Amino acid sequence: MSGDRSPPARRRVLITGIGLVTPLGLDAPATWGALLAGTSGIDVVRSFDASGFPVRIGAEVKGFDDTRVERGLRRYATRQHRFALAAAAEALRDAGVAPTPETAAHWACIVGAGMMGVEFADLAAFQRRAAPEGVLRPDRVAEPASAVAFARNQPTAGLALLVRRFGIQGRAAAMHTACASGGQALGAAMRLIRHGTADCALAGGFDAMLNPIGLAGFCLLGALSADNHDPPRASRPFDRSRNGFVLGEGAGFLVLEAADVARRRGARAYAELAGDGNALSSYRITDSHPSGRGPIEAMRHALADANEPPEAVDYLNAHGTSTPMNDRSECAAVRAVLGAQAARLAVSSTKSLMGHLIAAAGAVEAAICALAIRDGVAPASANLRQPDPDCHLPFVTGAPQRRPIRVALSNAFGFGGSNNCLVLRAAPAA
Amino acid sequence: MAVRPVTQTEIDAVFGGVADIIADALAREPAEVRPQSRLIADLGAESIDFLDIVFRLEQAFRVRIARGQILEDARGELSEDEFHRDGVLTAAGLARLREVLDEVPAEAFAPGLRIDDVPLLFTVETFCKVVVRAAPARAGAP
Repeated sequence: MSGDRSPPARRRVLITGIGLVTPLGLDAPATWGALLAGTSGIDVVRSFDASGFPVRIGAEVKGFDDTRVERGLRRYATRQHRFALAAAAEALRDAGVAPTPETAAHWACIVGAGMMGVEFADLAAFQRRAAPEGVLRPDRVAEPASAVAFARNQPTAGLALLVRRFGIQGRAAAMHTACASGGQALGAAMRLIRHGTADCALAGGFDAMLNPIGLAGFCLLGALSADNHDPPRASRPFDRSRNGFVLGEGAGFLVLEAADVARRRGARAYAELAGDGNALSSYRITDSHPSGRGPIEAMRHALADANEPPEAVDYLNAHGTSTPMNDRSECAAVRAVLGAQAARLAVSSTKSLMGHLIAAAGAVEAAICALAIRDGVAPASANLRQPDPDCHLPFVTGAPQRRPIRVALSNAFGFGGSNNCLVLRAAPAA
Repeated sequence: MAVRPVTQTEIDAVFGGVADIIADALAREPAEVRPQSRLIADLGAESIDFLDIVFRLEQAFRVRIARGQILEDARGELSEDEFHRDGVLTAAGLARLREVLDEVPAEAFAPGLRIDDVPLLFTVETFCKVVVRAAPARAGAP
């Protein structure tokens, strides 16, 4: 194990708790277990009638119990908020720590907030009331309506619920950078702790776009796989025949603590959150730059931030959406950044089994990297039968790969050109 | 009295509907919603919930309830200054409020009661009376 490579006196940030609500499982152990077993969370959409849609498959969270959300808050929380509250609660329980009146001002909450502000049921109710024939009726709009329904559909609602539920009084902010949001939230929280603004943070992402409008929107963009006949195989990142991503939903939360604070209370750490790199592609609304320049910069910055050279990287959890464009440009970027190491590390995209969790993806996938480091196992990239020659990286196929993982990278690239890379590292010895 | 008296019969006629709405709006079991239950202290309501509850009562009972109705009823012909000063109810204001909210125990109307704290006094029965007073001359729900 190498010695302390960070610049002198920089505060290190440890991951001490993980909470997950995903299409693979309703908590972190279930999700991790299903991932390693190669179980797919992708199926025909069942939560609404998608029979008329060109894409009828998705990665739904199955059997979520709403009573996991405190009764007094339930009416203020839409589906994505409920995922967030449950995952955050699990992370805090897992870490064995929570804000107290004495420490609350030193806690931060930074989230990747769900892309769809409005819950479909509330939108449908509004349309029935205020535009029953499809035309907005000003007299109806002005009538009294449910203030609670209005409030829970504000983009700020999730963050407000989290800080209130867990008594956080330091700093709170939400990222809205599409699929990069979850990763950027973790990076921002890490920096707050490094900087001393916070000692601890509840950081993560949540999203629930599997509803008629969310699904229709991505269908319109032509971004989704329409392999309705074979849902478990639809998400096949890096495969020659890949044809789009599968829309998922869920939440992932991590408890981050300054190493000195964590050590003082005898906390157990999964890993260190060691580096955060962000770069903008500033290219097009949905296309990624073919040269991979945004992702290249993000990965380089992240490694520099973590003070790790390219040859140190053991595992990459790729953004790997299974779109023709992303997977190709991501692989080009990885080869450009990692050089010779690009032939030696393990690479997988866990979207192959759980789909794309959009604003939650970056956080969930960072958590998976932390688990990979803890257990010394890289999950497989499912459905990779014929690698695209343009996607030439050492993917883990078939069974998960057992190998020590000291340094892992997690990529999260978003529509609109935000690119995030996080570096996780085996926790330094106490 | 500043407002018309409400009989126990009238209250009983609307209680079921009012209690159901309040229970639903506040995610409470119907058994928890009793006439004397205070909306904030006992049932966990916030100001946003009051907006929702009033909206639902208006829909269910087909009445119109103005925002701040209860304080308006209490103020009656008193001017704003005669009713409260610097956010605190005057003696006259307090007396009028006590008449309107005669379902609330007398101890709640202590001198120094702030106008912003008046909603803390509201019970389920308070809203039954609001509905009855807002209804047409006949008692009972549609």
